[in-house]
Amino acid sequence: MTLTGNATAVSASEREGTPAPKLRRMRPNRYTAAPLILISANVVLFALFFVWPAVIGFGYSFTDYTGVGDPQFVGAKNYLDLVGDPSFYSALLRTLEFTLMVVPLSYVVSLLIANFMVSKYAKGKPVARIIFFLPWLVSPIITGVVWRWLFGENFGLVNFVIESLGGKPVPWQSNANLSLLVVVFAATWAGMAFSMLLFIAAIKNVPTSYYEAAALDGAGPARLFFSITLPNIAPTSFIVILLTTIGTMKEYALFVSLNNGGPGTDNNLLVQYIYQTGFQRGQIGYASAASFVLMIILMAVALIQLAVNRKAASR
Amino acid sequence: MTLTKSQTGTSRLRRVLAMAATVSAAALVLAGCSSSGNSSASETKKLTLWLSSSAAQQAGYDQLATQYKKKTGVSIKIVNIPYSGYTTKLRDAAQANALPDIASVPSLDPIWTNKLIDLSSIVKTTSNHINENFIAKTSDGRVLAIPSDVTASGLFINKSLFDQAGVSYPTSPSKTWTWSDFIKAADKVRQATGAKYDLTYDASPSRLRAMVYEMGGKYVHADSSGKFSTDAKTQKAVQYFVSLNNDTIMPKSVWTSGADPSALFQSGQVVAYWSGVWQVASFADTITKFDWASVPTPADPVQASDVNSGGLVVGFKNNSSEATAAKKFLSWMYEPAQYKKLTEVNGYLPVESGLNPEYPFKSAAAQDAFKLYNEELPLYAPISGYFNQAQTKWVLGGKSLTTDPSVTELGKAINGQETVTAALKNIVDGYNQQVGK
Amino acid sequence: MSTSADMRTKAVLPNEAARPASRKRRMAPGELGRHLSTTTLLWVFAIGFAFPLLWFILSSFKPAGDLFSYPLTLLPKQWTLTGYATAWQSFNFAQYFGNTIVVACVTTVLTVAASCATGYALAKYSNRWLKVFFVCILATTMLPTEVMLAPSFLVVRDLGLYNSLAGIIVPSILTATGVLMFRAFFLTVPDDLVEAARIDGARELSIFFRIMVPLSRPIMVTLAIFSFQWRWNDYIWPLLVLNDPNKFTLQIGIESIVGAQNINWSVLLGASVISMIPLVLIYLVFQKYVMNANINAGLKD
Repeated sequence: MTLTGNATAVSASEREGTPAPKLRRMRPNRYTAAPLILISANVVLFALFFVWPAVIGFGYSFTDYTGVGDPQFVGAKNYLDLVGDPSFYSALLRTLEFTLMVVPLSYVVSLLIANFMVSKYAKGKPVARIIFFLPWLVSPIITGVVWRWLFGENFGLVNFVIESLGGKPVPWQSNANLSLLVVVFAATWAGMAFSMLLFIAAIKNVPTSYYEAAALDGAGPARLFFSITLPNIAPTSFIVILLTTIGTMKEYALFVSLNNGGPGTDNNLLVQYIYQTGFQRGQIGYASAASFVLMIILMAVALIQLAVNRKAASR
Repeated sequence: MTLTKSQTGTSRLRRVLAMAATVSAAALVLAGCSSSGNSSASETKKLTLWLSSSAAQQAGYDQLATQYKKKTGVSIKIVNIPYSGYTTKLRDAAQANALPDIASVPSLDPIWTNKLIDLSSIVKTTSNHINENFIAKTSDGRVLAIPSDVTASGLFINKSLFDQAGVSYPTSPSKTWTWSDFIKAADKVRQATGAKYDLTYDASPSRLRAMVYEMGGKYVHADSSGKFSTDAKTQKAVQYFVSLNNDTIMPKSVWTSGADPSALFQSGQVVAYWSGVWQVASFADTITKFDWASVPTPADPVQASDVNSGGLVVGFKNNSSEATAAKKFLSWMYEPAQYKKLTEVNGYLPVESGLNPEYPFKSAAAQDAFKLYNEELPLYAPISGYFNQAQTKWVLGGKSLTTDPSVTELGKAINGQETVTAALKNIVDGYNQQVGK
Repeated sequence: MSTSADMRTKAVLPNEAARPASRKRRMAPGELGRHLSTTTLLWVFAIGFAFPLLWFILSSFKPAGDLFSYPLTLLPKQWTLTGYATAWQSFNFAQYFGNTIVVACVTTVLTVAASCATGYALAKYSNRWLKVFFVCILATTMLPTEVMLAPSFLVVRDLGLYNSLAGIIVPSILTATGVLMFRAFFLTVPDDLVEAARIDGARELSIFFRIMVPLSRPIMVTLAIFSFQWRWNDYIWPLLVLNDPNKFTLQIGIESIVGAQNINWSVLLGASVISMIPLVLIYLVFQKYVMNANINAGLKD
């Protein structure tokens, strides 16, 4: 009974709105005080530190505010300029390319390593634990200099090794795609620990009895992973993918320290575009408009992922 | 099992909640404690001074503060703010009415220029010998900022490589070389010694301005109506610069993707480095593997460089007694006796003339470098100080060049994304948009 | 799936008692192979991850002149602590450490508490406005910080939190990541547990405090690790909110090493290593807890 309890817990709370499940809904909707109290602190904080500044920012997006003096209302001019700017679209495309590379790589690597860290067959876990955690602590500026040292076009270690083996130095920074690849590796390296820790907590949460039962059935390690681990950590998988996607689409500091959006502006992602055309030119209004468009894009991505997750959970 | 778990859970939870409650109470108390800031007393005994510099360059101000305290009993609290957040912090402090009394700022900001103290009396004091070329005055003759020091763009060479290749270089600004002579010499050195590049160049519009001025151009200049444009000599110079970024003479990655030109030079694999006087103090410590030297800037045919203020010293009018005390301190600081010490300890090029500072550097290269810069400064054409003056004028008119689009646009040009003409047009447009009329 | 369920009820009792004892003594054939392959694969990854780190840490022991010398070296030719010594003296490390610890601890406790409560509410209750609030919480991750910086500053100033540690603590309590983590966890806790407690006559909030909170301890610990790191590495916000240098936090001090024109790398590396040490210690202590926890969320009895 408890085994199926897992599945229904997810589906009941997520499958709202479709006609058939309404009949099957298990709890009448009579609890309002308790949830309200539970979320009260975050509601207040949300209103004060997100809604209030966001409303101010949203207001700016309809003005030509430059940070100094009084903002003048310009209607939807900022938004229209944004929609008509080709470099906005190339930044958007680059951001999507980057995200599509980082998210799967990061998911697979962190899940794999989390499995190792939980497995009783791996030796040397205490040291490995520190090694995997440290990159996440390092600030973007240091990550930049470390990866530039490795993949620097002029004096990088990788090119040094390639040259001593007789090859030609690879243009890690002058070639836009290679430069993006370096950032993909650096981003995965730096962000892995976050996902890994979430997965470790989730995997530890799966009752060992499930594994033992399946092992008695004769299931090997791969089968155990795909049939038991993966379904049971589904909610965590979902949030890892969601948070990694959103975080990756907002990536900025790592690009600045690794290739400054370069070569040229080939690797400008959306947030760097917002900085360059908005804040750095004192065009606060334009920057705010672009930020809200970014938020709409991210919200769309999140809602798509929520919908996909709901469909997968109800299967 | 669940029962025992919940029992220990409850007591633990109670502890956590109690801790959270006390801790939030403490936090709120801290919040309450904040508002009692530095309100004025009838006679001000405490001033705050903000700056953004390395620990080494803060030393000069620390010394002055100790001396001043002994002399007058007024203590100066020096706060070192990281550069990357300094401008934003000043802006926010202005909005929160929490500006310091004195600050050394990288540039003026229209948001708080109306809070500045008039420092013209310090400039007018002839015994200070302040070089008025670096002072920008408001339309009614007030002086809102005095540079703490002067910085100039300049050329460094890897002396060991030059000596190894047997190539000579000028040592006196009166007999300096042209850009093509310099590149030819650097090429020879590179080929003879197997170095990787002739030159690395700071990715900064100020350094580029130096080259353009030396070739007779005016870079992005405003005409009398306040509209910006470039001239033919500027276009030729910028075209020349972009052509040098070909991964043989200069590496593209510096201007296109933010590679560190200073690190490249310090690796010993680059023949020369175009940066400025602020590198001298750090090179004195960090370059140990080869000999370096400062050489005269090329004149092609104009002898010029980009001369700027290292920091602008301002005073804020927080209230009348603090403003008076701040002005008193600044007047004392700019007296030649004190200012000379400041320039010596911090390794500054002085904004006052006739000081002859004796720098404490142990490195002969550093001493020679400073001597060279001090020799060159009076020889430079007046265009060298144009941008410094212009910047202040823009701010006084309520505008500021928040970011110069030069590096981004020229990075695109070097990367082949656009032509130099298009890049220059975008730069001019960026200027007109931010500070044009 | 149903077969294993049946097997579970049969298999659990006899074998579970026997297993712990035998697991350690006998290694089944093929297990040695599993040890080897898993360990090897793990260490392939570990070495890949460690290599850039190694350069970072070893470089902090190099004298400034050697950092970018060519040919590149991994090991320092001369080991020196000058980077660290200069870093320690560059600013008031000890005081900034203290401030940062206060901020990090207070924020972490409050964040964990708020996120736990909100995550539980979102997972176990099905009101429509809860779903709206969930989307609102997600929305907080979608505006880039720079946009929010100036307006948030105005809010903090108007609330009277300028120049106080509370101005850093309070805005940081709400975190979508924390809420999502707890929501995901509580979704895996069977509803039947809640139902059983309700049938027993327990009130909603006491179900939360007495049953749910203790269950979620590993998530609390994991979020604590995250929250500590976030507050530890916070830079621009504390810089803007704090005016009095006695209240400055660690990253402000470290960032001041990055100069306007050039960066003193050996000092920066030294300072970064020093600032990472407390985080590593906290991580080691907390991770032990997560790794040793035998959770099995509320499935037994």
